[in-house]
Amino acid sequence: MPEAIQHRFDPYSSNGGSILAIAGKDFAVVAGDTRQSEGYSIQSRYQKKVFPLTSKAILAVNGFAADGNNFVKRVKQRLEWYTHAHNKEMPIKSIARLIQTMLYARRMFPYYVYNVLAGIEEDDGTGAVYSFDPVGSYERETCRAAGAAQSLLQPFLDNQIYFRNHTPAPGQPPFDPSTHPLSTVLSILVDSFSSATERHIEVGDFLEGYVILSPGRTSDDLIGEGVKGVLPEGMTVEEQDPEDLDVQSAVAGKGCRVFLVRKELKRD
Amino acid sequence: MEAIKLGSTTVGITTPHGTILAVEKRVQSTLLETSSIEKIMEIDSHIGCAMSGLTADARTMVEHARMTGQMHAFTYDEPIKVESVAQAVCDLALRFGESVDDDEAMMSRPFGVALLIAGVDEFGPSLFHTDPSGTFTRYDAKAIGSGSDAAQTSLQDAYNKNMTLDEAHRLALKILKEVMEEKVDENNIQLAQVVRAEGSKEAKFEILSGEATKQLIAAM
Amino acid sequence: MGSPMEMNGGSVIAMTGKDCVAIASDLRLGQQAVGLSADFEKVFPINNQLYVGLPGFATDTYTLREHLRFRVNMYRMKEEREITPKTFAHLLSSTLYEKRFGPYFIEPVIAGIPAPSAIDPDPKPFICNMDTIGCITTPKDFVVAGTATDKLYGVAEGLWEPDLEPEDLFETISQTLLAAVDRDCISGWGAVVHVITKDKIITRHLKGRMD
Repeated sequence: MPEAIQHRFDPYSSNGGSILAIAGKDFAVVAGDTRQSEGYSIQSRYQKKVFPLTSKAILAVNGFAADGNNFVKRVKQRLEWYTHAHNKEMPIKSIARLIQTMLYARRMFPYYVYNVLAGIEEDDGTGAVYSFDPVGSYERETCRAAGAAQSLLQPFLDNQIYFRNHTPAPGQPPFDPSTHPLSTVLSILVDSFSSATERHIEVGDFLEGYVILSPGRTSDDLIGEGVKGVLPEGMTVEEQDPEDLDVQSAVAGKGCRVFLVRKELKRD
Repeated sequence: MEAIKLGSTTVGITTPHGTILAVEKRVQSTLLETSSIEKIMEIDSHIGCAMSGLTADARTMVEHARMTGQMHAFTYDEPIKVESVAQAVCDLALRFGESVDDDEAMMSRPFGVALLIAGVDEFGPSLFHTDPSGTFTRYDAKAIGSGSDAAQTSLQDAYNKNMTLDEAHRLALKILKEVMEEKVDENNIQLAQVVRAEGSKEAKFEILSGEATKQLIAAM
Repeated sequence: MGSPMEMNGGSVIAMTGKDCVAIASDLRLGQQAVGLSADFEKVFPINNQLYVGLPGFATDTYTLREHLRFRVNMYRMKEEREITPKTFAHLLSSTLYEKRFGPYFIEPVIAGIPAPSAIDPDPKPFICNMDTIGCITTPKDFVVAGTATDKLYGVAEGLWEPDLEPEDLFETISQTLLAAVDRDCISGWGAVVHVITKDKIITRHLKGRMD
């Protein structure tokens, strides 16, 4: 008796890589590696998964690359419609909610994507990170890792950013995760990805991401002399002209500055 | 368009502290329960509107505006702008005659009502006027309805950009008093305001109680 | 019933330092998601300078520990000397490979400091781990095993540095273990750390999250 042939429609795959975002008091950092793989094959050593959306919000997508790219496209389209309808740039809090509704709308056929949204909050200028699951459950956090190496990265961030299992010396105030200086956050970012690259085959090639500085921020910025103290070794930085960013901002952002940061990772 | 010229007089005034609305209720009979005449309605917690003309039509429009406001808050986690509500109402105003799949048109004729939409959003207090043509316009102060010509002239004379909320209420009352035939009391007018309370981020729409209205009239 | 490797939960890590090694485990024993015990140590002394961690299937932890105790005692009596970490690793490896087609569900971790001898007067600290059938790996830096393996790798890779002194090594291994097991549902419930130096062993019990 011949076996019945079964056909199954499986439109998903996983394309590896990892993303990471950390919020500071008056800045936010979001980055990902640029390797795209399927199984043991590398499809690309340089494929972006971090995208500027507005002059103060940046979205990182990880999981199934096809879904991720399409999702970013649709979010950008919704942002354009919003700008036309309401004549202003969408605040990051609203982008976060929009992403939830867009993801949940596909509850029964989800975008196989983990989203991490980072930027500057509209009302108080603080750094913000929002993280999502594929069907839209979301939360504002101080930091979040997602993707193939999430299990390697997140406990490291718990230790370094949230100071979990650290006790302040007697008489010292409790630790506050939102007070890390930009230089510390950037070196934690680089160390995290170097570690993940070392131990995870799907992570590597390049680290690419953005730093968004709040309008009020003046100290240790990312250009000129200040760079030396802020930038980890091997990292390059380019300030982005808001005009060049492929973003929806009919009304000019209130002076947020956006920097592209890059670093080489190991290629093996 | 003519229907709205016959409607009851309605006044709206913006101040730096908030926006107010005032309407005349035409009490047709002494047997009428005046509290059942509803000419000012809440659209969202930070936006309200007053109407003049075919008030039944306004219910449909307010319903649409409320829905738009709730959908906006649900989708974007922020209060909708007053202008966006005015735009949404005007979009609806032009939907008459449209039909889906050979069905009868859902709305057979244009709306016969004008609205004053008052609210406070992230850009501060504002007041919009919408009319049956689907046009909306922003005003510092506006009067509509049967007494609107005289009322608008009075507004023109007495309005200044730095009024207090109390001055705005009194001005609105004064204008209603001028254009109304009967004596103004808490039963034949209705007052409302949208104010951002001191130190609060959220603006709040409220229809003034009979008692509060009575006191304002007395203080006039 | 799930895989035996994830049935009881638990994790072990070992790290090298300057003339010292450290080995640590969590204390949880569970039956899948249900926690049963918060004093289930998975690291056992073999002699004064050598410890073995046996995370995995709890019944095999016991069986293997008792079996190794027997084998090491026999070695000690026959050879009239203590077993060295390297020899012990091979003893354990062949013990595991004997069960090649019906293995113990254990991924052992070994940490020790070999005693100085005539041929090797200044021996290096020794760590190694192996898979369930005894394939040995001997990295320079650290070894991990158990249900929080991924997390342990991630944190250890970020925190470990060469030539740590015993107290710094203690801090590093403790922070690594706690950070990792706090993100693992079936590891945690406290921890125990042993730091082995040439002349002494420091054993400390750590309080951890009990969730």
